[in-house]
Amino acid sequence: MRWFKWGFWVVLIALVFAFCHYTLPQRDIVRVTGTEIIRQDFSKWNRIFYAQTDSGNNEGVNRDLRLINTSYPDGSVMVFRNEDTGFGWPWYFKLDSSNLQAEAADKISTRAAPEWVAIKHYGWRNEFLSIYPNAVTIWDVSGPDARIIPWSNIIIYIVLALIMLGFYRLVQRFKRRKIDPAIAQMEQKWDAVEARAAEAGDEMDRARGGVLAWFKKWFGASK
Amino acid sequence: MFGWVRLSVIGLFLLTIVYICLSWYSRSVRRERLEKQFDEGSEHPGPREQFIEDGLKAYEGSLRRKLIWGVYVIPVILVVVMIYVTNFM
Repeated sequence: MRWFKWGFWVVLIALVFAFCHYTLPQRDIVRVTGTEIIRQDFSKWNRIFYAQTDSGNNEGVNRDLRLINTSYPDGSVMVFRNEDTGFGWPWYFKLDSSNLQAEAADKISTRAAPEWVAIKHYGWRNEFLSIYPNAVTIWDVSGPDARIIPWSNIIIYIVLALIMLGFYRLVQRFKRRKIDPAIAQMEQKWDAVEARAAEAGDEMDRARGGVLAWFKKWFGASK
Repeated sequence: MFGWVRLSVIGLFLLTIVYICLSWYSRSVRRERLEKQFDEGSEHPGPREQFIEDGLKAYEGSLRRKLIWGVYVIPVILVVVMIYVTNFM
């Protein structure tokens, strides 16, 4: 049972962590090496990792997907997708994929003359599922070691902590002001019921005693 | 295309739950404070129930209660600002 309890909490914390890791923005400093568009046929396994079609269009079975090819300072590569999140989850309200694609194309640079940019993105790259992180914004930075303070994550975590604290206070207050008095009242009522039951039992004992005495009087003791 | 309609409906539903919880919480805090005020000070005339009832009636017209409407207003402003920052800055 203890293992089950521990397992439950470990799985829950892992799920929350994975959810935050997927959904919250991250920033990578990269060099844009190209942009391209591929036709994407989503499967039931990876559909959930893609957003919907651009916010002005109708959703079809398959569609083109904008990609941004990049290289990290250490030479490894990352491919970002570039999709509208529109008004759906996660709430980045990104409507300007085409503009972002144009900006990315404008920042293409070579290994010989690198131009470093920061890309704010969310999501995961997974080769087995063929999924890409979604780029949200792109901006120039001074170099590969530029320091970026993740203000949005700081604010989101503070707000989440405040919401959880508020919910905790709300539940505590509800318990103290509504549930505890109700339980106390119920206990009082239950005590009254028990007292009445005990009284009824006494009365029955007395009555039975009376009947027995009457029997004894007329027929004598059984043994 | 009508993603924003869906978001508005779901958002309205969720924010209404938050609004109801928050207004209950705020009223409960006020009621408790009034109870303490009455129990600690001896100069209040009239019965306890009447004192609390009057206090809550005053609370109903207060600014504090009206500020709870911010539950609806702040997310809308936030969404508009985010749309601007993400797409047009």
